[in-house]
Amino acid sequence: MRYFYHKNLIKWCFLLPSLGYLISMAIFPLVWSLSLSFTHFLGTIMTEPQWTGFANYRDILFSDRRFWRALWFTVRFVSMAVLLELGIGLSMAYLLRDRFPGRNFLRTLFLIPMACPPIAVAFLWKIILHPDIGIMNTILQTIGFSKVRWTTSVSVAPLTIVMVDVWEWTPFVFLALFAAIQSLPIELYDAAAVDGASSFQVFRYIVVPIITPVIVTVTLIRVIDAFKLFELVFGITSAGPANATESLSYYVYLTGIKWFDLGKGTAMSWIFTLIVLSISLILLSRLRKG
Amino acid sequence: MVDKIKKRQGFKDLERVRAKRKHGSLIKRTIFWTIIIVFTIWTLFPIFWAVVTSFKYTGDAYKPTFIPWAQFKPTLQGWYSAFVIEGERTFRSLRNSILIASLSSAIVLFLGALAGYSLARFVFKGWKNKDIAVWILSNRMTPQVAVLIPYFLLMRGLRLLDNPLAIIMGHTVLNLPLGVWLMIDFFRDLPQDLEDAALIDGCSYLGAFFKIALPLVAPGLVAVYVLSFIISWHEFIFVLVLGFNKAITIPVVIAGSLTTKGLDFWRMASVSLIGIAPVVILAVLASRFLVRGLTLGAVKE
Repeated sequence: MRYFYHKNLIKWCFLLPSLGYLISMAIFPLVWSLSLSFTHFLGTIMTEPQWTGFANYRDILFSDRRFWRALWFTVRFVSMAVLLELGIGLSMAYLLRDRFPGRNFLRTLFLIPMACPPIAVAFLWKIILHPDIGIMNTILQTIGFSKVRWTTSVSVAPLTIVMVDVWEWTPFVFLALFAAIQSLPIELYDAAAVDGASSFQVFRYIVVPIITPVIVTVTLIRVIDAFKLFELVFGITSAGPANATESLSYYVYLTGIKWFDLGKGTAMSWIFTLIVLSISLILLSRLRKG
Repeated sequence: MVDKIKKRQGFKDLERVRAKRKHGSLIKRTIFWTIIIVFTIWTLFPIFWAVVTSFKYTGDAYKPTFIPWAQFKPTLQGWYSAFVIEGERTFRSLRNSILIASLSSAIVLFLGALAGYSLARFVFKGWKNKDIAVWILSNRMTPQVAVLIPYFLLMRGLRLLDNPLAIIMGHTVLNLPLGVWLMIDFFRDLPQDLEDAALIDGCSYLGAFFKIALPLVAPGLVAVYVLSFIISWHEFIFVLVLGFNKAITIPVVIAGSLTTKGLDFWRMASVSLIGIAPVVILAVLASRFLVRGLTLGAVKE
């Protein structure tokens, strides 16, 4: 038993289960999918994959316009949603920096959207935004606006997805930045105010520079997560109308699982993974230093 | 620092400045409270509307009426449908959700605490601790759909399709990187002196871990467990692909509330609320840790 108490043995015994689990359940599937991505393998009619080299990748990158469309939608979605979340979250966090009655209550309240299952969020909004019988259009018409085809118009539907994502995740950005701003000493504002700095100047030249590391980290986390957009699209629009809201995750799911084109599906999922991982590397290298 | 400032002449300035910031002009205060109220309504309205809708008859569900009894006649048909007519399916999925989330989180907690302790307290020569930790975390960033196809084939090969075990395995992979990463952080926050003292007194490394470090890091354990429970409860894609009937969880039932019988808003509302309520309560209870966990430890409250 003495050996078991040995330092080196202990540290490996503690670490190896996790490493082993991740290698067998995270890395091995990725390697498997990489090997499948070089084959032609229609799961519905074929039992054995057929080696075709880079054919799937060529097919996706050079002749699959739907893939590029999904990628373009995803990129547009990510940039719009994250920018809005950051803008609203940051300004709210700065605005609410002083104590006021009900602040803690408000903070708890803001946990609700991100605590909801994403698919439930999609359905909450689907009820509200139904173009004919949803409450949103009824209210809009009562005030005198015309109906908005939230989920059925090619130009509006992508923005609807952005809006719901903003609803779901702005509170997260707010809470993170709020915590960062709260950790600043109050004397900072005193000193700036005595010197005659305006509220906006304090924000622009003192608060933002100090909390920039947190802003960057939170932004990267949001970008990586937003790229995986699936539930909102699945629930609200089912990627419609006319595939206008088809995200990369959704297209990979359709190709690989629904149509069971395993070769093309895995190739696409690898392109997708590489995109997400290259963004993740920025975040990971930051976390490594921090 | 405050005392020093107080002693100076500038103290009166400071008083004035602080008072001004606290009270502000009437216009400023109005804007301030308007923003708060608008944002609160914006945040709560979808939930509120789902609650109202879930108590409505089909015909009322499409009308802009908000107050039960006064504006519309409330009914329990949405909840009756969810808990009685479709009750078997609802309870099966709730049972699965609880089973899958609690078991996979328990595995994450167990493996995560061990690995976190190992990486926080011991030195790995050759590979650096930081590199191992970052590599583990990098697994969190891979999109779920990337491993979906191999998972499906693997589970089909193991005859685990439509078996909660397959989903537990999937959710464990999903949460383990975050679990290890956060546990490293929590163990680092503990002073090492106590364990060192125990080791000098003849305690074994195992004893130091179980008797001293683990009890002290209990809040961290709770945080990791709750966070992975919530993420597992939310997870939709794995369940959609790996479960059909026996192993479905609540998100799949929510998604199914649309396809089964058309546009019954009250049904969609009640089922969504069943999926929302448990995790929202959990999140509110664990609110202290949630932001820290979701920002990967970058923000500490």
